[in-house]
Amino acid sequence: MAIFSVYLVNKAGGLIYQYDNYVPRAEAEKTFSYPLDLVLKIHDEKVIVSFGQRDGIRVGHAVLSINGVDVMGKNTADGKDVIEYLKDSSNYPVSIRFGRARLSSNEKLMLASMFHSLFAIGSQLSPEVGSSGIEMLETDVFKLHCFQTLTGIKFIVLADPRQSGIDALLRKIYEIYSDFALKNPFYSLEMPIRCELFDQNLKIALEVAEKAGSFGPGS
Amino acid sequence: MTVHNLYIFDRNGACLHYSEWNRKKQAGISKQEEFKLMYGMLFSIRSFVSKMSPLDMREGFQCFQTSRYKLHFYETPTGLKFIMNTDLSVPNARETLHQIYSTLYVDYIVKNPLCSLGDPLQSDLFSARLDTFIKNLPYFNPRAA
Amino acid sequence: MSRQSNRTTDNKKMNSELFTLTYGALVTQLCKDYENDEEVNKQLDKMGYNIGVRLIEDFLARSSVGRCQDFRETADVIAKVAFKMYLGVTPSVTNWSPAGDEFSLVLESNPLVDFVELPDNHNVLIYSNLLCGVLRGALEMVQMAVDVRFAQDTLRGDNVTEIRMKFIKRIEENLPYHIRFF
Repeated sequence: MAIFSVYLVNKAGGLIYQYDNYVPRAEAEKTFSYPLDLVLKIHDEKVIVSFGQRDGIRVGHAVLSINGVDVMGKNTADGKDVIEYLKDSSNYPVSIRFGRARLSSNEKLMLASMFHSLFAIGSQLSPEVGSSGIEMLETDVFKLHCFQTLTGIKFIVLADPRQSGIDALLRKIYEIYSDFALKNPFYSLEMPIRCELFDQNLKIALEVAEKAGSFGPGS
Repeated sequence: MTVHNLYIFDRNGACLHYSEWNRKKQAGISKQEEFKLMYGMLFSIRSFVSKMSPLDMREGFQCFQTSRYKLHFYETPTGLKFIMNTDLSVPNARETLHQIYSTLYVDYIVKNPLCSLGDPLQSDLFSARLDTFIKNLPYFNPRAA
Repeated sequence: MSRQSNRTTDNKKMNSELFTLTYGALVTQLCKDYENDEEVNKQLDKMGYNIGVRLIEDFLARSSVGRCQDFRETADVIAKVAFKMYLGVTPSVTNWSPAGDEFSLVLESNPLVDFVELPDNHNVLIYSNLLCGVLRGALEMVQMAVDVRFAQDTLRGDNVTEIRMKFIKRIEENLPYHIRFF
C-alpha cells in the first residue's frame, strides 16, 4: 500500500502546497547499437518514447541520461541535442537510461489548476441535481481523492487504488492545515504554505494512514 | 440504482450517439456545447492522469465520482469513447461499456455498410437494441432512484 | 446478450471457394472497368482500406487484444491472430530491419489466389493488393501509419507470397481545435 502524493489547491486553482511521499522508481538502462529501435518524440520539452517497448523501457518513458550524462529537457547536460545525437551512427554503441519523467514544479502548478477546472466541469455536467465536483478519480494504477472544504480549498491525495482510509486522512490533513497554517499568524491566506510544523505533522499523518489504513477515534 | 445517460464519441471528438434515461438536471447549455464540454473534459482527464501517474499505466482513466453520480469511461484502441453516468452504487461498468461496443456498435454500425463511420449514428435498430440492453442491466431501476 | 455468447464459437461457416471466386470476379471486373492495372491496384488498395477501418473494430471486439506498444507485438498479432481469424492462414514474420521498423509477412499459401493464373498482359496487376489496403486501414485506426506492399507474389512465379510492412509514424491524437478550452 502506498500514498504517492498530496496537493493543496486554493480556491482560485493555485497550488499552495505539494508533497511527494513516495515516488516509485521505474527506470531501465540499456546499451543500444545503431539504429535505435525505439521511436522517440519531443513532448512537453522532454524526449519520450512514443512507440516500442522492451527490457523495462515503456512507451511514455523519458530519456534520463545518455552514457551517464544527465539529460535536461531536449539536451544533455553537456549541451547536445538528444534527438540529433541519437540519429548519428558514429555515436553508437550508446547507453541510454529511460524512466518516467518526474514532474517539475511548473508542471505541478499547471496540473493543479487543470484539476481545478476539471473539478468544476464534473459538477456542471452532472445528470443529478446538487452534485459536487470530482471527489474520486480512478485509474488502473492510482486513485485520486479530492476533498473540497466549504471555503473552497481542495485537498488532493494520490494513492494506491487499494489504499483504504483516505477519507479520514483528508479530514486529518484539513485539521493539520487549520492548526499549523491558518492558526500561524505569519501565514497569509491563499499563499504557498511554508511551515515546518505543517510539514512534520503531515508526514506523521501519512505514515499513520499508510500503516493502519485508518485513524482510530480521537486521533 | 440507475443509469442516467450515455455518450459515444469517435476519435475526432464527434458525438456519435447520446441517450438519456433518468436525467434530473441538464447542463444549462445546448447539447452540442455539452458534447464539446464532455469530450474536452475527458481528453483533459486523460492527459492529466498520464502526467500525474507515478507508475506506468495500462488502462489509464477508468471512472470518477462526485457526491451525486459516477462517470464510467471505456476507450477502444481505435479511439472510440463510451461514457455512462450512473448513480454511486453501481460498481465497475467498464465490462458493460465493452459489451455495448463489441455486441451493439460493432454488429449494428460497423458491419452495416450503409452506416458511415464518423457521423452521428442514424440506426434505429442500434438505438432500440441499446435501449433494451440498458433497461435490462441489473442496476437499471428508475423507481429506486 | 445471447448474440455475444455464441459469436466466438459460432464462426459462421461459409464456403471459402465462394469467397475466392467473389474476389476473382471483383478483380476482373475492375480490370474491365479501368483497363489499366496500376489504376486497378489503386482501387483494390482503396477498397481494402475501407474494409480495414471497419474490420479493426470487429477484430478488437472479438479478440481481446489491447493496444500494441511495440511494432514486434503488432507483427505477432497480425500474423498469429488476425490472419488466422480472417483468412485461416498464419504467415511467418521475418526479415526484420535493424531499426525494428520493417518486417515481412510470408504466406505459404494465399487463399485469394487459389484458382488464379495471371495472364501475360497483366504483369503490373497486384492481384491481392486488397490485403495491403486492409492492413493499412486497420492500423491507421489504431494510430499507426504504415506502408504496406507486396514484395513477392506466387502469381509472378515467386516461391512464396511476401507482404512487406514499414512503420512510418504514430498518429498523435490531438484535441480538435473547436473543443480546446484549456
